[in-house]
Amino acid sequence: MSNSVTINADQVLGTINRNIYGHFSEHLGRCIYEGIWVGEDSPVPNTNGIRNDVVAALKHIKIPVLRWPGGCFADEYHWKDGVGPREDRKRMINTHWGGVLENNHFGTHEFLMLCEMLECEPYISGNVGSGTVQEMSEWVEYMTFDGVSPMAEWREKNDREKPWDVKYFGVGNENWGCGGNMRPEYYADLYRRYQTYVRNYGDNKIHKIACGPNSDDYRWMDVVMREAHWLMDSISLHYYTVPGKSWSNKGPATGFTEDEWYTTLKKALWMDELITRHSAIMDRYDPSKRIGLIVDEWGTWFDVEPGTNPGFLYQQNTIRDALVAGITLNIFHAHSDRVQMANLAQVINVLQSVILTEGEKMVLTPTYHVFDMFKVHQDASLLHSSVTSAAYTRDEHSISQLSVSASKDAQGRIHISLCNLDNAAEAEVDIDLRGLDGAELVISGTELTASEKDAHNTFEQPDQVAPAAFHAFRMEDGKLKAKLSPMSVTVLEVIAQ
Amino acid sequence: MSVQSPCKGCREEYRATEEQIDRLLDHPMFQADSEISVPDSVYLGRLEQCMSCPRLSAGTTCLVCGCFVRVAAKYRNRACPLAGESRWAKFET
Repeated sequence: MSNSVTINADQVLGTINRNIYGHFSEHLGRCIYEGIWVGEDSPVPNTNGIRNDVVAALKHIKIPVLRWPGGCFADEYHWKDGVGPREDRKRMINTHWGGVLENNHFGTHEFLMLCEMLECEPYISGNVGSGTVQEMSEWVEYMTFDGVSPMAEWREKNDREKPWDVKYFGVGNENWGCGGNMRPEYYADLYRRYQTYVRNYGDNKIHKIACGPNSDDYRWMDVVMREAHWLMDSISLHYYTVPGKSWSNKGPATGFTEDEWYTTLKKALWMDELITRHSAIMDRYDPSKRIGLIVDEWGTWFDVEPGTNPGFLYQQNTIRDALVAGITLNIFHAHSDRVQMANLAQVINVLQSVILTEGEKMVLTPTYHVFDMFKVHQDASLLHSSVTSAAYTRDEHSISQLSVSASKDAQGRIHISLCNLDNAAEAEVDIDLRGLDGAELVISGTELTASEKDAHNTFEQPDQVAPAAFHAFRMEDGKLKAKLSPMSVTVLEVIAQ
Repeated sequence: MSVQSPCKGCREEYRATEEQIDRLLDHPMFQADSEISVPDSVYLGRLEQCMSCPRLSAGTTCLVCGCFVRVAAKYRNRACPLAGESRWAKFET
Protein backbone atom coordinates (compact mmCIF):
# COMPACT_ATOMS: atom_id res chain seq x y z
CA MET A 1 0.00 0.00 0.00
CA SER A 2 1.27 3.51 -0.78
CA ASN A 3 1.24 6.42 1.64
CA SER A 4 -1.13 9.28 0.97
CA VAL A 5 -2.10 12.27 3.05
CA THR A 6 -4.91 14.74 2.48
CA ILE A 7 -4.68 18.03 4.33
CA ASN A 8 -7.62 20.39 4.34
CA ALA A 9 -6.04 23.77 4.83
CA ASP A 10 -9.44 25.42 5.23
CA GLN A 11 -10.72 23.06 7.94
CA VAL A 12 -9.49 24.06 11.39
CA LEU A 13 -10.20 21.54 14.14
CA GLY A 14 -8.91 23.58 17.07
CA THR A 15 -5.79 25.08 18.58
CA ILE A 16 -2.69 23.11 19.52
CA ASN A 17 -2.01 24.35 23.04
CA ARG A 18 1.63 25.37 23.27
CA ASN A 19 1.78 23.74 26.70
CA ILE A 20 1.75 20.36 24.96
CA TYR A 21 5.45 21.16 24.46
CA GLY A 22 6.05 21.39 28.21
CA HIS A 23 8.78 19.79 30.29
CA PHE A 24 9.28 18.29 33.72
CA SER A 25 12.09 18.83 36.21
CA GLU A 26 12.44 16.75 39.37
CA HIS A 27 14.94 16.60 42.18
CA LEU A 28 16.15 13.31 40.79
CA GLY A 29 19.64 12.30 39.77
CA ARG A 30 21.27 15.21 37.95
CA CYS A 31 18.18 16.97 36.64
CA ILE A 32 18.00 19.91 39.04
CA TYR A 33 21.49 19.81 40.57
CA GLU A 34 24.17 19.83 37.85
CA GLY A 35 21.61 19.97 35.04
CA ILE A 36 20.02 23.29 35.99
CA TRP A 37 21.50 24.50 39.26
CA VAL A 38 25.27 24.69 39.68
CA GLY A 39 25.38 27.46 42.28
CA GLU A 40 26.70 30.97 42.00
CA ASP A 41 30.32 29.99 42.72
CA SER A 42 30.50 27.32 40.01
CA PRO A 43 33.06 27.56 37.21
CA VAL A 44 30.21 26.55 34.91
CA PRO A 45 28.95 29.84 33.40
CA ASN A 46 25.77 30.72 35.27
CA THR A 47 23.39 33.49 36.19
CA ASN A 48 22.44 33.51 39.86
CA GLY A 49 23.44 29.83 40.04
CA ILE A 50 21.52 28.63 36.96
CA ARG A 51 23.44 27.33 33.93
CA ASN A 52 23.50 29.81 31.04
CA ASP A 53 23.89 27.14 28.35
CA VAL A 54 20.82 25.24 29.49
CA VAL A 55 18.66 28.36 29.74
CA ALA A 56 19.66 29.41 26.21
CA ALA A 57 18.96 25.95 24.80
CA LEU A 58 15.52 25.73 26.43
CA LYS A 59 14.56 29.24 25.35
CA HIS A 60 15.50 28.30 21.81
CA ILE A 61 12.86 25.58 21.73
CA LYS A 62 10.34 27.96 23.32
CA ILE A 63 9.72 25.88 26.41
CA PRO A 64 6.20 26.93 27.41
CA VAL A 65 5.81 25.39 30.87
CA LEU A 66 7.99 23.57 33.40
CA ARG A 67 6.73 21.21 36.11
CA TRP A 68 8.52 21.00 39.49
CA PRO A 69 9.59 19.66 42.06
CA GLY A 70 8.35 16.16 41.15
CA GLY A 71 7.31 13.46 40.56
CA CYS A 72 7.72 11.22 43.53
CA PHE A 73 9.97 13.84 45.11
CA ALA A 74 6.99 16.19 45.34
CA ASP A 75 5.26 13.69 47.60
CA GLU A 76 7.90 14.23 50.28
CA TYR A 77 8.78 17.83 49.49
CA HIS A 78 8.16 20.39 52.20
CA TRP A 79 8.52 23.76 50.55
CA LYS A 80 9.46 25.66 53.69
CA ASP A 81 12.73 23.68 53.76
CA GLY A 82 13.67 25.39 50.48
CA VAL A 83 13.27 29.11 51.22
CA GLY A 84 15.36 31.60 53.19
CA PRO A 85 19.16 31.89 53.32
CA ARG A 86 20.63 28.89 51.53
CA GLU A 87 23.18 28.17 54.21
CA ASP A 88 20.36 27.73 56.73
CA ARG A 89 18.21 25.44 54.64
CA LYS A 90 17.57 21.91 55.81
CA ARG A 91 19.71 19.11 54.50
CA MET A 92 18.02 15.77 53.92
CA ILE A 93 18.43 12.51 52.06
CA ASN A 94 16.44 12.16 48.85
CA THR A 95 14.97 8.81 49.79
CA HIS A 96 13.14 8.32 46.52
CA TRP A 97 16.01 8.76 44.14
CA GLY A 98 19.59 7.61 44.68
CA GLY A 99 19.78 8.38 48.39
CA VAL A 100 21.77 11.56 47.73
CA LEU A 101 22.02 14.54 50.03
CA GLU A 102 19.46 17.22 49.19
CA ASN A 103 20.58 20.60 50.50
CA ASN A 104 17.49 22.46 49.34
CA HIS A 105 19.58 25.12 47.60
CA PHE A 106 17.15 24.95 44.70
CA GLY A 107 13.78 25.92 46.15
CA THR A 108 10.74 28.00 45.36
CA HIS A 109 12.60 31.26 44.67
CA GLU A 110 15.17 29.55 42.47
CA PHE A 111 12.54 27.64 40.48
CA LEU A 112 10.42 30.69 39.85
CA MET A 113 13.54 32.68 38.93
CA LEU A 114 14.37 29.92 36.42
CA CYS A 115 10.90 30.19 34.90
CA GLU A 116 11.32 33.95 34.60
CA MET A 117 14.64 33.41 32.80
CA LEU A 118 13.01 30.85 30.50
CA GLU A 119 9.94 33.05 30.03
CA CYS A 120 7.79 29.98 30.67
CA GLU A 121 4.88 29.19 32.97
CA PRO A 122 5.68 27.44 36.25
CA TYR A 123 3.70 24.32 37.12
CA ILE A 124 4.02 23.52 40.81
CA SER A 125 3.28 20.01 42.03
CA GLY A 126 1.88 20.15 45.57
CA ASN A 127 2.37 17.55 48.29
CA VAL A 128 -0.76 15.62 49.22
CA GLY A 129 1.03 12.36 50.05
CA SER A 130 2.91 13.56 53.13
CA GLY A 131 2.02 17.25 53.37
CA THR A 132 -0.73 19.04 55.18
CA VAL A 133 -3.58 21.16 53.91
CA GLN A 134 -2.09 24.13 55.74
CA GLU A 135 1.30 23.58 54.13
CA MET A 136 -0.18 23.53 50.64
CA SER A 137 -2.40 26.52 51.33
CA GLU A 138 0.51 28.54 52.69
CA TRP A 139 2.69 27.69 49.68
CA VAL A 140 0.13 29.25 47.37
CA GLU A 141 -0.19 32.23 49.72
CA TYR A 142 3.61 32.61 49.84
CA MET A 143 3.94 32.64 46.08
CA THR A 144 0.90 34.65 45.03
CA PHE A 145 -0.54 36.80 47.84
CA ASP A 146 -0.18 40.52 47.21
CA GLY A 147 -0.94 42.21 50.50
CA VAL A 148 -0.47 41.83 54.23
CA SER A 149 -0.23 38.22 55.35
CA PRO A 150 2.26 36.09 57.27
CA MET A 151 3.41 34.27 54.12
CA ALA A 152 3.66 37.44 52.02
CA GLU A 153 5.74 39.06 54.75
CA TRP A 154 8.01 36.03 54.90
CA ARG A 155 8.44 36.16 51.13
CA GLU A 156 9.40 39.85 51.36
CA LYS A 157 11.87 39.03 54.11
CA ASN A 158 13.37 36.52 51.69
CA ASP A 159 14.02 39.30 49.16
CA ARG A 160 10.97 38.97 46.96
CA GLU A 161 8.52 41.79 47.44
CA LYS A 162 6.10 41.18 44.59
CA PRO A 163 4.22 37.90 44.28
CA TRP A 164 4.79 35.65 41.31
CA ASP A 165 2.19 34.66 38.76
CA VAL A 166 1.63 30.96 39.31
CA LYS A 167 -1.12 29.50 37.19
CA TYR A 168 -0.67 25.74 37.21
CA PHE A 169 -0.84 23.89 40.52
CA GLY A 170 -1.08 20.12 40.90
CA VAL A 171 -2.98 18.90 43.94
CA GLY A 172 -0.98 15.74 44.48
CA ASN A 173 1.16 13.48 42.32
CA GLU A 174 0.81 9.75 41.66
CA ASN A 175 -1.36 9.33 44.71
CA TRP A 176 -2.08 5.80 43.49
CA GLY A 177 1.61 5.04 44.13
CA CYS A 178 4.44 7.04 45.69
CA GLY A 179 1.95 9.77 46.61
CA GLY A 180 0.28 7.68 49.31
CA ASN A 181 -0.84 4.39 47.73
CA MET A 182 -4.42 5.59 47.86
CA ARG A 183 -7.63 4.27 46.40
CA PRO A 184 -9.31 6.69 43.98
CA GLU A 185 -12.24 7.10 46.37
CA TYR A 186 -9.93 8.26 49.15
CA TYR A 187 -7.87 10.51 46.87
CA ALA A 188 -11.00 12.11 45.42
CA ASP A 189 -12.09 13.13 48.91
CA LEU A 190 -8.61 14.43 49.73
CA TYR A 191 -8.56 16.34 46.44
CA ARG A 192 -11.85 17.99 47.34
CA ARG A 193 -10.45 18.99 50.72
CA TYR A 194 -6.98 20.18 49.68
CA GLN A 195 -8.11 22.13 46.65
CA THR A 196 -10.55 24.12 48.80
CA TYR A 197 -7.59 25.94 50.33
CA VAL A 198 -5.68 26.47 47.10
CA ARG A 199 -6.90 30.04 46.86
CA ASN A 200 -6.90 32.65 44.18
CA TYR A 201 -5.26 35.86 45.42
CA GLY A 202 -5.60 39.14 43.57
CA ASP A 203 -5.46 38.63 39.84
CA ASN A 204 -3.77 35.27 40.13
CA LYS A 205 -6.13 32.51 39.02
CA ILE A 206 -4.93 29.02 39.84
CA HIS A 207 -5.54 26.26 37.30
CA LYS A 208 -6.10 23.27 39.61
CA ILE A 209 -4.84 19.92 38.40
CA ALA A 210 -6.09 16.72 40.00
CA CYS A 211 -3.98 13.59 40.13
CA GLY A 212 -5.19 11.32 37.37
CA PRO A 213 -4.45 7.72 36.52
CA ASN A 214 -1.40 5.69 35.76
CA SER A 215 -1.52 4.38 32.21
CA ASP A 216 -4.71 2.35 31.63
CA ASP A 217 -6.20 2.62 35.12
CA TYR A 218 -9.59 3.65 33.79
CA ARG A 219 -11.29 3.08 37.11
CA TRP A 220 -9.12 5.76 38.73
CA MET A 221 -10.16 8.25 36.05
CA ASP A 222 -13.83 7.34 36.42
CA VAL A 223 -13.94 7.63 40.21
CA VAL A 224 -11.97 10.86 40.50
CA MET A 225 -13.97 12.50 37.72
CA ARG A 226 -17.25 11.30 39.21
CA GLU A 227 -16.45 12.58 42.69
CA ALA A 228 -14.61 15.83 41.96
CA HIS A 229 -14.87 16.94 38.34
CA TRP A 230 -16.55 20.26 39.10
CA LEU A 231 -13.69 21.26 41.38
CA MET A 232 -10.83 20.80 38.92
CA ASP A 233 -9.54 22.51 35.79
CA SER A 234 -7.48 19.57 34.58
CA ILE A 235 -6.60 16.03 35.48
CA SER A 236 -3.27 14.30 34.82
CA LEU A 237 -2.24 11.10 33.07
CA HIS A 238 1.13 9.34 33.32
CA TYR A 239 2.36 6.93 30.69
CA TYR A 240 5.91 5.81 29.94
CA THR A 241 7.13 3.88 26.91
CA VAL A 242 8.99 0.85 28.26
CA PRO A 243 9.98 -1.71 25.60
CA GLY A 244 10.87 -4.52 28.02
CA LYS A 245 8.41 -6.97 29.49
CA SER A 246 8.97 -5.78 33.04
CA TRP A 247 10.21 -2.75 34.98
CA SER A 248 13.26 -4.73 36.07
CA ASN A 249 14.18 -5.45 32.44
CA LYS A 250 13.24 -2.40 30.44
CA GLY A 251 15.84 -2.78 27.70
CA PRO A 252 18.89 -0.66 26.89
CA ALA A 253 18.82 2.90 25.56
CA THR A 254 21.45 2.01 22.92
CA GLY A 255 22.52 -1.28 21.39
CA PHE A 256 18.92 -2.49 21.31
CA THR A 257 17.52 -5.15 19.01
CA GLU A 258 15.23 -4.86 16.02
CA ASP A 259 12.42 -6.20 18.20
CA GLU A 260 13.07 -3.52 20.79
CA TRP A 261 12.93 -0.79 18.14
CA TYR A 262 9.59 -2.06 16.93
CA THR A 263 8.12 -2.67 20.37
CA THR A 264 9.15 0.78 21.55
CA LEU A 265 7.33 2.52 18.72
CA LYS A 266 4.30 0.24 19.04
CA LYS A 267 4.07 1.05 22.73
CA ALA A 268 4.51 4.77 22.05
CA LEU A 269 1.52 4.60 19.70
CA TRP A 270 -0.57 3.22 22.55
CA MET A 271 -0.75 6.78 23.87
CA ASP A 272 -3.49 7.38 21.30
CA GLU A 273 -5.71 4.64 22.73
CA LEU A 274 -5.05 5.77 26.29
CA ILE A 275 -6.07 9.35 25.56
CA THR A 276 -9.08 8.24 23.54
CA ARG A 277 -10.41 5.99 26.29
CA HIS A 278 -9.65 8.35 29.17
CA SER A 279 -11.26 11.18 27.20
CA ALA A 280 -14.38 9.07 26.71
CA ILE A 281 -14.64 8.65 30.47
CA MET A 282 -14.10 12.37 30.98
CA ASP A 283 -16.82 13.07 28.42
CA ARG A 284 -19.37 11.41 30.70
CA TYR A 285 -18.81 14.04 33.38
CA ASP A 286 -17.52 16.89 31.23
CA PRO A 287 -19.10 16.72 27.77
CA SER A 288 -18.18 20.32 27.03
CA LYS A 289 -14.49 19.46 27.49
CA ARG A 290 -13.90 22.22 30.00
CA ILE A 291 -11.47 20.00 31.88
CA GLY A 292 -8.09 19.43 30.32
CA LEU A 293 -6.18 16.18 30.22
CA ILE A 294 -2.58 16.89 31.17
CA VAL A 295 -0.06 14.18 30.32
CA ASP A 296 2.44 15.50 32.82
CA GLU A 297 4.80 12.54 32.70
CA TRP A 298 5.56 10.78 29.42
CA GLY A 299 8.52 9.50 27.45
CA THR A 300 10.84 6.54 27.13
CA TRP A 301 12.14 4.67 30.15
CA PHE A 302 15.07 2.35 29.57
CA ASP A 303 17.69 0.65 31.72
CA VAL A 304 20.19 3.17 33.05
CA GLU A 305 23.54 3.57 31.36
CA PRO A 306 25.89 0.84 32.63
CA GLY A 307 28.02 2.01 35.53
CA THR A 308 25.69 4.82 36.55
CA ASN A 309 23.69 4.99 39.77
CA PRO A 310 20.35 3.24 39.08
CA GLY A 311 18.51 5.83 41.15
CA PHE A 312 19.64 8.61 38.80
CA LEU A 313 17.68 7.27 35.79
CA TYR A 314 20.33 8.45 33.34
CA GLN A 315 19.85 7.10 29.82
CA GLN A 316 21.16 7.96 26.38
CA ASN A 317 18.83 9.24 23.71
CA THR A 318 18.81 8.00 20.10
CA ILE A 319 16.95 8.49 16.86
CA ARG A 320 14.48 5.98 18.34
CA ASP A 321 13.67 8.52 21.07
CA ALA A 322 13.23 11.16 18.38
CA LEU A 323 10.62 8.95 16.70
CA VAL A 324 8.83 8.43 20.03
CA ALA A 325 8.76 12.19 20.55
CA GLY A 326 7.47 12.91 17.04
CA ILE A 327 4.80 10.22 17.20
CA THR A 328 3.62 11.31 20.63
CA LEU A 329 3.48 15.00 19.80
CA ASN A 330 1.44 14.20 16.68
CA ILE A 331 -0.94 12.18 18.88
CA PHE A 332 -1.27 15.08 21.31
CA HIS A 333 -2.12 17.38 18.39
CA ALA A 334 -4.88 15.04 17.27
CA HIS A 335 -6.39 15.21 20.78
CA SER A 336 -5.94 18.94 21.23
CA ASP A 337 -9.62 19.28 22.11
CA ARG A 338 -8.79 17.49 25.39
CA VAL A 339 -5.01 17.48 25.87
CA GLN A 340 -4.09 20.93 27.15
CA MET A 341 -0.60 20.25 28.43
CA ALA A 342 2.08 17.57 28.43
CA ASN A 343 5.40 17.38 30.21
CA LEU A 344 8.18 15.20 28.86
CA ALA A 345 10.09 13.33 31.58
CA GLN A 346 12.55 14.80 32.18
CA VAL A 347 14.15 17.92 30.84
CA ILE A 348 17.82 17.23 31.65
CA ASN A 349 19.90 14.14 32.47
CA VAL A 350 16.93 11.96 33.44
CA LEU A 351 14.94 9.54 31.23
CA GLN A 352 14.05 10.97 27.79
CA SER A 353 15.95 14.20 28.20
CA VAL A 354 16.31 16.97 25.69
CA ILE A 355 19.67 17.95 27.19
CA LEU A 356 22.55 16.00 28.75
CA THR A 357 25.28 17.63 30.80
CA GLU A 358 28.56 16.56 32.38
CA GLY A 359 30.45 19.26 34.24
CA GLU A 360 30.70 22.25 31.92
CA LYS A 361 29.79 20.17 28.86
CA MET A 362 26.31 20.06 27.36
CA VAL A 363 24.88 18.08 24.47
CA LEU A 364 21.50 18.33 22.76
CA THR A 365 19.73 15.02 22.18
CA PRO A 366 17.73 13.88 19.14
CA THR A 367 14.61 14.50 21.20
CA TYR A 368 15.67 18.13 21.62
CA HIS A 369 15.83 18.51 17.86
CA VAL A 370 12.28 17.19 17.47
CA PHE A 371 11.03 19.77 19.97
CA ASP A 372 12.94 22.41 18.03
CA MET A 373 11.52 21.34 14.67
CA PHE A 374 7.97 20.97 16.03
CA LYS A 375 7.86 24.31 17.88
CA VAL A 376 6.15 25.79 14.82
CA HIS A 377 3.02 23.92 15.93
CA GLN A 378 2.81 25.78 19.25
CA ASP A 379 -0.53 27.64 19.45
CA ALA A 380 -1.14 26.93 15.75
CA SER A 381 -4.48 25.84 14.32
CA LEU A 382 -4.78 22.09 13.91
CA LEU A 383 -5.81 21.27 10.34
CA HIS A 384 -8.03 18.39 9.36
CA SER A 385 -5.99 15.69 7.69
CA SER A 386 -6.50 12.09 6.70
CA VAL A 387 -3.72 9.58 6.32
CA THR A 388 -3.51 6.31 4.45
CA SER A 389 -0.33 4.65 5.60
CA ALA A 390 1.57 1.61 4.46
CA ALA A 391 1.91 -1.03 7.12
CA TYR A 392 5.10 -1.49 9.07
CA THR A 393 5.03 -5.16 9.99
CA ARG A 394 7.16 -7.39 12.14
CA ASP A 395 6.27 -11.02 12.79
CA GLU A 396 2.52 -11.09 13.24
CA HIS A 397 2.29 -7.44 14.27
CA SER A 398 1.52 -4.41 12.15
CA ILE A 399 1.57 -0.68 12.82
CA SER A 400 1.37 2.34 10.56
CA GLN A 401 4.59 3.33 8.88
CA LEU A 402 3.60 6.99 9.00
CA SER A 403 2.58 9.44 11.68
CA VAL A 404 1.39 12.83 10.39
CA SER A 405 0.03 16.11 11.74
CA ALA A 406 -0.57 19.49 10.11
CA SER A 407 -1.22 22.96 11.44
CA LYS A 408 -1.47 26.56 10.26
CA ASP A 409 0.22 29.33 12.21
CA ALA A 410 -0.87 32.92 12.74
CA GLN A 411 0.95 34.01 9.58
CA GLY A 412 -0.88 31.41 7.50
CA ARG A 413 2.13 29.11 7.10
CA ILE A 414 1.28 25.43 7.04
CA HIS A 415 3.53 22.97 8.84
CA ILE A 416 3.35 19.24 8.27
CA SER A 417 5.20 16.92 10.64
CA LEU A 418 5.84 13.42 9.32
CA CYS A 419 7.46 10.45 11.04
CA ASN A 420 8.66 7.36 9.18
CA LEU A 421 8.71 4.63 11.80
CA ASP A 422 10.40 2.01 9.64
CA ASN A 423 14.15 1.94 10.24
CA ALA A 424 14.89 0.17 6.94
CA ALA A 425 12.44 1.41 4.31
CA GLU A 426 11.91 4.83 2.81
CA ALA A 427 8.38 6.18 2.70
CA GLU A 428 7.08 7.77 -0.46
CA VAL A 429 4.18 10.05 0.42
CA ASP A 430 1.68 11.84 -1.78
CA ILE A 431 0.32 14.90 0.00
CA ASP A 432 -2.84 16.49 -1.35
CA LEU A 433 -3.08 20.05 -0.04
CA ARG A 434 -6.68 21.17 -0.39
CA GLY A 435 -8.26 24.50 0.39
CA LEU A 436 -5.50 26.75 -0.90
CA ASP A 437 -7.39 27.98 -3.97
CA GLY A 438 -4.60 27.22 -6.42
CA ALA A 439 -2.08 29.53 -4.76
CA GLU A 440 1.57 29.25 -5.66
CA LEU A 441 3.33 27.25 -2.98
CA VAL A 442 6.77 27.85 -1.52
CA ILE A 443 7.89 24.70 0.25
CA SER A 444 10.87 23.93 2.43
CA GLY A 445 11.70 21.19 4.87
CA THR A 446 13.88 19.95 7.71
CA GLU A 447 14.72 16.33 8.41
CA LEU A 448 16.13 14.45 11.38
CA THR A 449 17.42 10.98 10.60
CA ALA A 450 20.40 8.70 11.12
CA SER A 451 22.24 5.83 9.49
CA GLU A 452 22.13 3.60 12.56
CA LYS A 453 19.02 2.87 14.60
CA ASP A 454 20.78 3.69 17.86
CA ALA A 455 22.62 6.76 16.60
CA HIS A 456 22.99 9.31 19.37
CA ASN A 457 24.89 12.40 20.39
CA THR A 458 27.75 12.33 22.87
CA PHE A 459 29.94 15.00 24.42
CA GLU A 460 32.68 13.91 22.02
CA GLN A 461 30.40 13.75 18.95
CA PRO A 462 27.51 16.12 19.65
CA ASP A 463 26.14 16.32 16.09
CA GLN A 464 25.78 12.68 15.11
CA VAL A 465 22.02 13.20 14.98
CA ALA A 466 21.16 16.73 13.92
CA PRO A 467 18.53 18.35 11.70
CA ALA A 468 19.38 19.00 8.06
CA ALA A 469 17.62 20.67 5.18
CA PHE A 470 15.18 18.32 3.45
CA HIS A 471 15.02 18.42 -0.34
CA ALA A 472 13.47 15.08 -1.31
CA PHE A 473 10.14 16.52 -2.43
CA ARG A 474 8.57 17.89 -5.59
CA MET A 475 5.21 19.12 -6.84
CA GLU A 476 3.64 16.81 -9.40
CA ASP A 477 0.11 16.86 -10.76
CA GLY A 478 -0.88 19.32 -8.08
CA LYS A 479 0.32 17.07 -5.28
CA LEU A 480 3.32 17.32 -3.02
CA LYS A 481 5.37 14.16 -3.32
CA ALA A 482 7.96 13.52 -0.62
CA LYS A 483 10.40 10.69 -0.03
CA LEU A 484 11.04 10.24 3.69
CA SER A 485 14.25 8.59 4.84
CA PRO A 486 14.01 5.47 6.99
CA MET A 487 13.68 6.29 10.72
CA SER A 488 13.13 9.97 10.14
CA VAL A 489 11.23 12.92 11.51
CA THR A 490 10.49 15.61 8.94
CA VAL A 491 8.75 18.97 9.11
CA LEU A 492 7.62 20.65 5.89
CA GLU A 493 6.70 24.30 5.69
CA VAL A 494 4.24 25.39 3.02
CA ILE A 495 3.69 29.06 2.27
CA ALA A 496 0.80 29.83 -0.07
CA GLN A 497 1.45 33.01 -2.05
CA MET B 1 2.34 -12.25 49.18
CA SER B 2 4.55 -9.82 47.34
CA VAL B 3 2.75 -6.95 45.67
CA GLN B 4 4.61 -4.86 43.10
CA SER B 5 3.90 -1.22 43.72
CA PRO B 6 2.97 0.82 40.66
CA CYS B 7 5.16 3.56 42.10
CA LYS B 8 8.39 4.00 40.18
CA GLY B 9 10.55 5.37 42.96
CA CYS B 10 9.86 2.62 45.47
CA ARG B 11 11.39 -0.18 43.43
CA GLU B 12 14.36 -2.01 44.80
CA GLU B 13 16.24 -1.87 41.52
CA TYR B 14 16.79 1.85 42.01
CA ARG B 15 18.84 1.31 45.17
CA ALA B 16 22.59 1.49 44.66
CA THR B 17 24.56 -1.25 46.43
CA GLU B 18 28.19 -2.26 46.59
CA GLU B 19 27.13 -5.70 45.34
CA GLN B 20 25.83 -4.16 42.11
CA ILE B 21 29.15 -2.44 41.59
CA ASP B 22 31.06 -5.63 42.37
CA ARG B 23 29.03 -7.46 39.74
CA LEU B 24 29.81 -4.79 37.15
CA LEU B 25 33.52 -4.91 37.91
CA ASP B 26 33.58 -8.69 37.58
CA HIS B 27 33.22 -8.25 33.83
CA PRO B 28 36.42 -9.13 31.91
CA MET B 29 36.49 -5.67 30.32
CA PHE B 30 37.43 -4.25 33.69
CA GLN B 31 40.42 -6.48 34.26
CA ALA B 32 43.62 -4.44 34.62
CA ASP B 33 45.16 -5.73 31.41
CA SER B 34 42.13 -5.08 29.20
CA GLU B 35 42.08 -2.49 26.43
CA ILE B 36 39.52 -0.44 28.29
CA SER B 37 40.89 -0.39 31.82
CA VAL B 38 43.72 1.59 33.31
CA PRO B 39 46.49 -0.22 35.25
CA ASP B 40 45.73 -0.86 38.91
CA SER B 41 48.17 1.81 40.09
CA VAL B 42 46.37 4.48 38.07
CA TYR B 43 43.00 3.14 39.17
CA LEU B 44 43.85 3.38 42.84
CA GLY B 45 45.23 6.89 42.41
CA ARG B 46 42.04 8.01 40.72
CA LEU B 47 39.88 6.43 43.41
CA GLU B 48 41.87 8.17 46.11
CA GLN B 49 41.02 11.48 44.45
CA CYS B 50 37.36 10.55 44.15
CA MET B 51 37.11 9.49 47.78
CA SER B 52 38.20 12.94 48.98
CA CYS B 53 36.03 14.83 46.49
CA PRO B 54 33.14 16.90 47.87
CA ARG B 55 31.02 15.81 44.92
CA LEU B 56 31.11 12.14 45.96
CA SER B 57 27.74 10.91 47.24
CA ALA B 58 27.23 8.04 49.68
CA GLY B 59 30.77 6.81 49.00
CA THR B 60 29.69 5.44 45.63
CA THR B 61 28.44 8.02 43.17
CA CYS B 62 29.94 11.01 41.40
CA LEU B 63 27.31 13.73 41.48
CA VAL B 64 28.81 15.42 38.43
CA CYS B 65 28.34 12.50 36.01
CA GLY B 66 26.10 10.11 37.98
CA CYS B 67 28.57 7.23 37.65
CA PHE B 68 29.74 4.83 40.29
CA VAL B 69 33.29 6.08 40.79
CA ARG B 70 34.62 2.52 41.17
CA VAL B 71 33.44 1.92 37.60
CA ALA B 72 34.19 5.33 36.03
CA ALA B 73 37.76 5.35 37.33
CA LYS B 74 38.48 2.17 35.39
CA TYR B 75 38.14 3.71 31.94
CA ARG B 76 41.27 4.82 30.08
CA ASN B 77 39.36 7.30 27.95
CA ARG B 78 37.57 9.06 30.79
CA ALA B 79 38.61 12.12 32.73
CA CYS B 80 37.23 13.42 36.00
CA PRO B 81 34.27 15.62 34.92
CA LEU B 82 34.51 18.14 37.77
CA ALA B 83 34.14 21.54 36.13
CA GLY B 84 37.21 23.76 36.41
CA GLU B 85 39.18 21.41 38.66
CA SER B 86 39.30 17.97 37.09
CA ARG B 87 41.00 15.61 39.52
CA TRP B 88 42.28 13.06 37.03
CA ALA B 89 42.95 12.98 33.31
CA LYS B 90 42.49 10.48 30.52
CA PHE B 91 45.11 7.76 30.59
CA GLU B 92 47.35 7.81 27.56
CA THR B 93 50.27 5.44 27.15
